[in-house]
Amino acid sequence: MSNALLEVRDLRKSFGALRASDDISFDVGQGETHAIIGPNGAGKTTFISQLAGNLRPDSGRILFAGEDITDLPAPKRARKGLARSFQITSVYPEFSALQNVALAVLARSGRTGFWRDARSDPSLTGPARHVLEQVGLHERSHVLAANLAHGEQRQLEVAMALGTGPRLLLLDEPMAGMGTEESQRMIALLASLKGKQTIILVEHDMDAVFQLADRISVLVYGRVIATGSPEEVRANPDVRTAYLGEDS
Amino acid sequence: MTFELFFEQLLNGVQLGVMLFLLAAGLTLVLGIMNMVNLAHGSLYMIGAYFAISVTQWSGSYLLGVLAGLAGTLLVGMAVEVIALRTLYERDHLDHVLATFGLILFFNELIAILFGRFALFASLPSYLQGHIPLFGDVRYPLYRAVIIAVGLVVAVLLWYVVTRTRLGMLIRAGASNRTMVAALGINIRLLYTVVFGFGAALAGLAGLMAGQIYTVQPGMGELILIQVFVVIVIGGIGSVRGALVGALIVGIVDTMGRAFLKPLLQTLLSTYAADTAGPALASMLIYLLMALVLALRPAGLFPARG
Amino acid sequence: MRRYLFWGAVIVLLAALPWLATALGQGFYIDLARRNMIFGIAAVSLNLILGYGGMVSFGHAAYLGVGGYAVAIFAFYGVHDGFLQWGVAIAASALVALAIGAVSIRTSGVYFIMITLAFTQMLYYLGISIEEYGGDDGIRLKGRSQFPLVDLADGVQFYYLVLALLLGAVYLTHRIVNSRFGMALRAAKSNEARSRAIGFSPYPYRLAAFVIAGAMCGLAGALLANHTNYLTPDFMHWTRSGEIMFMVILGGMATSAGPLLGASAFLLLEDVLSGWTEHWQVILGPLLVLSVLFFKRGLAGLLARHE
Repeated sequence: MSNALLEVRDLRKSFGALRASDDISFDVGQGETHAIIGPNGAGKTTFISQLAGNLRPDSGRILFAGEDITDLPAPKRARKGLARSFQITSVYPEFSALQNVALAVLARSGRTGFWRDARSDPSLTGPARHVLEQVGLHERSHVLAANLAHGEQRQLEVAMALGTGPRLLLLDEPMAGMGTEESQRMIALLASLKGKQTIILVEHDMDAVFQLADRISVLVYGRVIATGSPEEVRANPDVRTAYLGEDS
Repeated sequence: MTFELFFEQLLNGVQLGVMLFLLAAGLTLVLGIMNMVNLAHGSLYMIGAYFAISVTQWSGSYLLGVLAGLAGTLLVGMAVEVIALRTLYERDHLDHVLATFGLILFFNELIAILFGRFALFASLPSYLQGHIPLFGDVRYPLYRAVIIAVGLVVAVLLWYVVTRTRLGMLIRAGASNRTMVAALGINIRLLYTVVFGFGAALAGLAGLMAGQIYTVQPGMGELILIQVFVVIVIGGIGSVRGALVGALIVGIVDTMGRAFLKPLLQTLLSTYAADTAGPALASMLIYLLMALVLALRPAGLFPARG
Repeated sequence: MRRYLFWGAVIVLLAALPWLATALGQGFYIDLARRNMIFGIAAVSLNLILGYGGMVSFGHAAYLGVGGYAVAIFAFYGVHDGFLQWGVAIAASALVALAIGAVSIRTSGVYFIMITLAFTQMLYYLGISIEEYGGDDGIRLKGRSQFPLVDLADGVQFYYLVLALLLGAVYLTHRIVNSRFGMALRAAKSNEARSRAIGFSPYPYRLAAFVIAGAMCGLAGALLANHTNYLTPDFMHWTRSGEIMFMVILGGMATSAGPLLGASAFLLLEDVLSGWTEHWQVILGPLLVLSVLFFKRGLAGLLARHE
């Protein structure tokens, strides 16, 4: 428990009468890949938003590397190493793939300048190129993000999260809208990150989840009804009835 | 400073507030529901005044003038919405601002061509002239009292429509979630035109009533428009209740400030300093108030969207 | 490369203009071009926050007023030192921008537009109410700003100074928008949620850009006061802000050539229309509406189409 990178204690968030997050307690260890699954409307994105700092919980605490970040706004959390990718692609459409990632690197560097041309600054483009290679987009570096294929944009989402040199990746359905081949590529990418990065993965794609996750938490109506290894979760009768049903 | 003077200025503040409310209500609804920044709202106010005055002078009947002001503004408003503004709903605020700015230039100059640039003066019919006694020695101009009454009646009517009718429900829903309303299959285009026309008519009403008190000339709309913006910022976008509260606050603060700040300062500072600082500070008062409200409540006092 | 060609041509043309104009006996073109360039500087400054920063500030003309009045008030008291006057014009504009920006930039969207409009109008009313400096009627400049090497009373020398300042403003803006700061600012405009997610808080970047733009426009105001020799609170009127905004849009937002092209085109359009009829605004208005509907990319967009 104490070497958990992220700890969540009794997180609560309600929208009127709707309990989107109902006393969620949760932790993720260093280097762990932890998946969050659950039916639609379970509150997964609400949960991620609270972790990332886009939404304020009604009560509860979030600790990152032992530090209480519950009241920190999103940009500050990002600078502490909490990176997020969005479920609906949110990149900079009029900048190239390289510039998109370079901006993430720029944000991380914490240094600013008013004169030197940032577009050709090797301390920005170097790491950006490296990340693009990692995700497999290096041949599309100079393509405008708006002109990338959907799958490539999802890769760019992950690339931007990586560009900030994170300690924890919050990936919200990285494979959303992807075809089989693209999904395989993404799974391979995430697999390559396993162990080196700590990852919280929200996904519907069960293939990916069971291949990648060290542990899985199942979220239903805002509550975590089960946490454990993939085998434990698969065998759990509550999970079967509430969620997996006929699917697995 | 006497009690009579204080009370009179207070009532003047309410009267200004009521006029600001009429303008703000239409503008905040258009802003809240159609997400459109309409700088030309002041032009509708001006058009209302001009319609009323010209028809009154031509026909000799004040009431006919009032009807002309209302109907004319309603028609012009809807025409403008259909011809010029409809295509802009999908665009960003910058486009709204620029396009309606162009409309302002057009309308101001059109009025100047038709009526000249100099101020027009309208006269009140005899049954609206004079004063009414309030209490004690206090008397108040009848016409201003009528304005307050009309404004309050409109406020009640608006409250009724917005909270008790189906149209009002659509308006409130649209103000807080536009896409949902459209997704529910409501004829959004018609709703928009109706809301816009309604707002225009309110502006026209304010304009035709204003004609007797404020100067009627090209550009009169823009003078009051800025104050209307302050009202909306303070009250909260999309909220009619906010428009009323904000309008009364702004109206009272502005009127009382202009009336009493200089004499107040004169008791504290030298006459010379008060003479300069007084009017300057008084004209800045509502903007400082706006800054204060924003510092505490960035979305205004009663924002429609949670 | 097209950009270098364009600017090369512009520099040559503008540098040669006074000589050409005098040779052709049409000296007033020097005045005309100088006026266009001064508004060009104002448009460059607005382009920084509007075109690159995405901030629809309807209060930018306020800084023309602050800068102009700084010069006029100093002159009123017999202080004609250009460095002092213009230094204060720039510093005062920066301070006002800081004050207005600090409050306004916390808000977004529609609120921002209305608030900047309201604050500008507040300054306008302030200008009107101070009788000391002319109030509503305005104030005549007792004498142009004095500098050691340049005599502003000489129309041609003043012209070249303005040209140099315009080119400086364009170049400075070019460096700023491509710097780390500028890229972060543009990113915030492009996708604010994304920027926050990677660790940028847009507020300090926007505020800094707002202050820089205000200071630059204050300089334009000082130049304008010297150019017209007369200054009224109308410099600060919000309709003037709308005009500068149009110059930026017409020229093409977020381009280096846009502001100058837009300012020149807009002012020349005004000149032509007002030559036809005193009611030129009745034509300009609909033209503006049409340009918003159909001509968003602006003049620089036309030039760039071949890239």
